[in-house]
Amino acid sequence: MFKGMPKIFWIGTLLMYGWVFFFMILEMNVPGLPLKKFLGVPACYIYNWICGLWLINILVSYIYFRFEEKREEFKEQQQVQGGIR
Amino acid sequence: MSVNPIVILGALLYFAIIFAIGWYSRKASMDASDYYVAGRKVGAFVNGSALAATYFSPASFLGLPAFIFIIGYPFWWALVGIIGGMPIATLLTAAPLRKYAPTSFTDYYADRYETKWLRLVAGIPTLIGGLAYVVLSIVGTALFMMAILKVNFNVSVILATIVVFLYIYYGGMVATTFSTAFQGIAMTVGSVVAAAYVISHYGGLNGLTDATLSVSANFFNPPYASETASHALVATWTGMIGFFFVWHFGFSAMPYTVVRFFTTQDIKSARRSVFWAVVVGGAMYCGLVIIGTGARVLIEQLHPLMQTEGITSAVAVLKHMKTTYNVAGAVVTDYSMIAAVEALSSPFLLAVVAAGGLAIAMATAAGWTMVLNILLGRDLVGKVFGSKWPEEKPVQATRVMTILIMLFCMIVAFKPPALVLDISGAAFIVILCSVGPPLILGLWWTRATTAAAIINILVMTTLSTGSWMYAKFVLGSPHWFFLSDPAHKIPTPHQFYWVFVGFIFFIVLSLVTRPNSDEAILKYSLDLRPDM
Repeated sequence: MFKGMPKIFWIGTLLMYGWVFFFMILEMNVPGLPLKKFLGVPACYIYNWICGLWLINILVSYIYFRFEEKREEFKEQQQVQGGIR
Repeated sequence: MSVNPIVILGALLYFAIIFAIGWYSRKASMDASDYYVAGRKVGAFVNGSALAATYFSPASFLGLPAFIFIIGYPFWWALVGIIGGMPIATLLTAAPLRKYAPTSFTDYYADRYETKWLRLVAGIPTLIGGLAYVVLSIVGTALFMMAILKVNFNVSVILATIVVFLYIYYGGMVATTFSTAFQGIAMTVGSVVAAAYVISHYGGLNGLTDATLSVSANFFNPPYASETASHALVATWTGMIGFFFVWHFGFSAMPYTVVRFFTTQDIKSARRSVFWAVVVGGAMYCGLVIIGTGARVLIEQLHPLMQTEGITSAVAVLKHMKTTYNVAGAVVTDYSMIAAVEALSSPFLLAVVAAGGLAIAMATAAGWTMVLNILLGRDLVGKVFGSKWPEEKPVQATRVMTILIMLFCMIVAFKPPALVLDISGAAFIVILCSVGPPLILGLWWTRATTAAAIINILVMTTLSTGSWMYAKFVLGSPHWFFLSDPAHKIPTPHQFYWVFVGFIFFIVLSLVTRPNSDEAILKYSLDLRPDM
């Protein structure tokens, strides 16, 4: 199952789920965590609103397409070099 | 509250742009390939923006702020779950399905599982979910029409149906891809501008938080760590995590987004489309969080109707709207987002948000109607029942189906069965637990079998639909576990667990039934994976 799935897929999912569940578990255990001040605003705006909702997902979707393109370029180069030899 | 010419002008400008794009791109949609999959000529940014506009619906634009308004901060995690599910699709389904390059959603099931009858079987949950989505899109369009024109809800529903119908009738997928890309930008601008207004009105995020707490002291309370959770539906971890997962896998397996992977130029564009969809959609969701968080305090402090005798709360404002405009069912709660924007008393802002709302509703209605009319016309009438009509006159066939779909959905939209986000959640769970496992595991597991696909789709459609309805009508809400003791109800939003049960059930069934032919496995599973 999932044979051939690029490794970067698992790294990206680990990053996203790791972030989400780490902060969810913290919220359920640390009283008042969403409203504790971080960078001058309630912390939930940083770890949930900006990072969890947007930045982490932009990063994950970026590394997914970028790493695949790099891998394909590398493979093409190898094939060209193999053909020359 | 009266009609404002600036708001009407904003809506007219939006329609002028949409129909200009449709008219211009109409010349390009003359053959079946163009009509169905935009000739596979669409670039990454345009497709990504169209993906976001199609995937997000009035359930997002109206429903998510309404649920934050009702449930409070823990519901923010549902929005994180929706956007967090999008990148997964890049490698899980977008790239393999673009490599396969089918025309219709059900093509994959028929080819991978080697029977045309899977078009019919996979069509059942798709039809249920699709009709639900067209209904909620018409309801969403109607609520915005109501906000713009201040007319009766039933009149708004008829107007909304006509507008959406004309939009799809003349365009096909070419028009809907390019104009939908514009709609993606319009909805994001609408949401972000409204959020900026809200933040600036309260002098920053700290001011907004303090104002929210002043009218709703428990708003930011997650379960366990606080004495009182913000709402009974998030009083346990099952509620909070359940809302996270309800829509989470939708981007990878919902038919109306999956078909947009077919329209890209190549696999590279398909992968990059997801990135742009996350950028556009994520920005819009950031705006929706702020609007939903500020909705109650904005309505209670600033809405003009709060001056009316007898109206003392945000809920009373919404009840007043329900009576005045004859809004059926509970959907008036979905008006809370628009009411919050109305409270800011800026016709310019209302015009921008109304254009964004119309954009998101029309784009989703168009995306789903295209899926449904291809399913009913080309796939069922043509491929399953052998009629030549959809093949010889594809555009005519899909247009006839569009008329039937729109008429049916308009009738249901007069009295919607639930809040738009609840209709959306039900549709997601039914589709994801039934046709999701055969799609994803069909691509990534050689052992997935035809028997497992058929049984899984039929059994999971029945279980998810039945348990959702039982919970709604017997326990009072689809968000309670349907077998709960009525005295101690457990929150399991939309019976989300069926998605995970569906995958396990499909795996077990596949292991005890006969595998597909080596040729089908090679062509529709192994060959679609990345070249390692």
